[in-house]
Amino acid sequence: MKTKPALATTFLMAVALTSPACSFLRAQKSSAVAPSVPSGLVLRVEARMLAPEALRDPDAIAWQSLPAQRVALNRTPPLYDTDPPVTREIPFVDVRLVRAGGKLLVHLAWRDATEDTAQLAHAPASPPETRNLKEQSTATERFFDAAAVMLPARAPENGIFPSLQMGDASDPVVIYYWNAARGPLLVRAEGRGTTQRTGESFPAASSYRQGAWHVVLELPDVSAGMPLAFAIWNGSQLDRDGRKYFSVWLRVE
Amino acid sequence: MSKHQYAMVMDLNKCLGCQTCTIACKKLWTDRDGTQHMYWNNVETRPGMGYPRQWDAIGGGWKDGQLQPSRLPTLDDYGAPWEYDYEQRLYEGKGKPVMPSPDPVSGPNWDEDVGAFNGDDNFYFYLPRICNHCTNPACLAACPRQAIYKREEDGIVVLDQERCQGYRYCIAACPYKKIYFNEITGKSEKCIFCYPRLEKGEVNACAAQCPGRLRFVGLLDDPESAVHKLVLVYKVALPLFPERGTQPNVFYVPPFNPPKRTNYGKSILEDPRLPLDYLLYLFGLEVKDVIVRLEAELTKAQSGKQSELLQLLIGRDAETRYQIRPQPVRIQARIG
Repeated sequence: MKTKPALATTFLMAVALTSPACSFLRAQKSSAVAPSVPSGLVLRVEARMLAPEALRDPDAIAWQSLPAQRVALNRTPPLYDTDPPVTREIPFVDVRLVRAGGKLLVHLAWRDATEDTAQLAHAPASPPETRNLKEQSTATERFFDAAAVMLPARAPENGIFPSLQMGDASDPVVIYYWNAARGPLLVRAEGRGTTQRTGESFPAASSYRQGAWHVVLELPDVSAGMPLAFAIWNGSQLDRDGRKYFSVWLRVE
Repeated sequence: MSKHQYAMVMDLNKCLGCQTCTIACKKLWTDRDGTQHMYWNNVETRPGMGYPRQWDAIGGGWKDGQLQPSRLPTLDDYGAPWEYDYEQRLYEGKGKPVMPSPDPVSGPNWDEDVGAFNGDDNFYFYLPRICNHCTNPACLAACPRQAIYKREEDGIVVLDQERCQGYRYCIAACPYKKIYFNEITGKSEKCIFCYPRLEKGEVNACAAQCPGRLRFVGLLDDPESAVHKLVLVYKVALPLFPERGTQPNVFYVPPFNPPKRTNYGKSILEDPRLPLDYLLYLFGLEVKDVIVRLEAELTKAQSGKQSELLQLLIGRDAETRYQIRPQPVRIQARIG
């Protein structure tokens, strides 16, 4: 399929981090929004003397005392000729990072008016031909909300980051992908169209309340200066593939 | 471009709508978790809603070299599968008749035999459908994962389950809506033209089981094959919706001259039971020429002369209808 050019210009358009003025989380009493990321594109990381398990619940008290850092999201332009015009429904994601017990816990919160998820049937382990009843697909046209954190598969040298479009052959990326219906999934990629599910998973938890998703992803700890990028998919906008919201590369403190 | 191209011709004058092909396919390929709504082979009543519902009106295919947008069919469009409460009724003695659950609201061929009216005469016919294994597949072009490919050795279009990520651009792109989403595996699936059978020299399951003997299978570029003769020599078989630009390799001998109460002996073109407009809608302008050719052959046979074409269309035995090349041989003819 022919893709539309000029993705790169879109990346440049919305590099700036948004102003904290339009905070939605501020309205929630328990969490104050910090005045954005301090210097350029660096994300602050808090350290906590806690077991990672204590922070896996996105609604845990420990998260509520942490200020969020607001990260602007860009919307990919229509990728294919058949794509309808896009509307920008999710302008930012609020990020909290904590190092604890040798892990990097990433708390993402974003406003999304529709909770696009489902309880999916799981195929039993027994072969289908041994069972009279088979599990059924319950829908064929819906897409689910999702989020991901992308980082280089190995620490970048000379400050050069992999391509924001799923890395490249010389600089592969690893993606911690969470889907509201399918759960967490570790993905690797070395450029657009090369994503491979690894079959591996990682700890993740989510809650949807008051029109917003709150998700915690538990990653292995990363060294200071490591780049991270975020992506959010909105199921009700038929998001999947590169059709999503994405941040630029940011660096952890 | 594939070196060879398998093709199928279906003679719609012979289809009795028994769904034996549908069940043969279902038992062989889609009797798995997540596939209940899938009929890689289906038979629908025409005129009618089709399967999935209104597939011919929701988009996809090519126009001026560009893929066309489409919505994705819903589970109700396919016909949400139901089960029966055997447990309660038969074994627990609840005393009521066995009932389907959930209450069926749609299904494949839901409007079976309803058809339409042309004056005082009702008309309908059956349209069996599989993936068209197109020469210019919109599904293949739409997939950002390159999960769909056309086999070089025989032109069969297959979908790599390892590469598929379930994005469903292919389902939107296919103007025939012959790719299906399995929500349990999170991947899409489609008709594979029974390639594992063909590789063993066996014809497709849908064709093998057809009591109407209406299917012809072979390489389109094999001058000895029935499909080659019907499509390229006798020119009596046409693809469905040719204007959608995918160049299907499944062809149909259109229904011609079904009897009408008052028009015995009259041509479909002068006093049609099937309105010509409907056939033009399905098969394009060429259908007129095809009907003229078929009627000429029929007249010839009725006057006692031999019609090789009609003998071929009768297709008495498997050897006449199927020319399967387990290992495609060197063939001189060119496609098209």
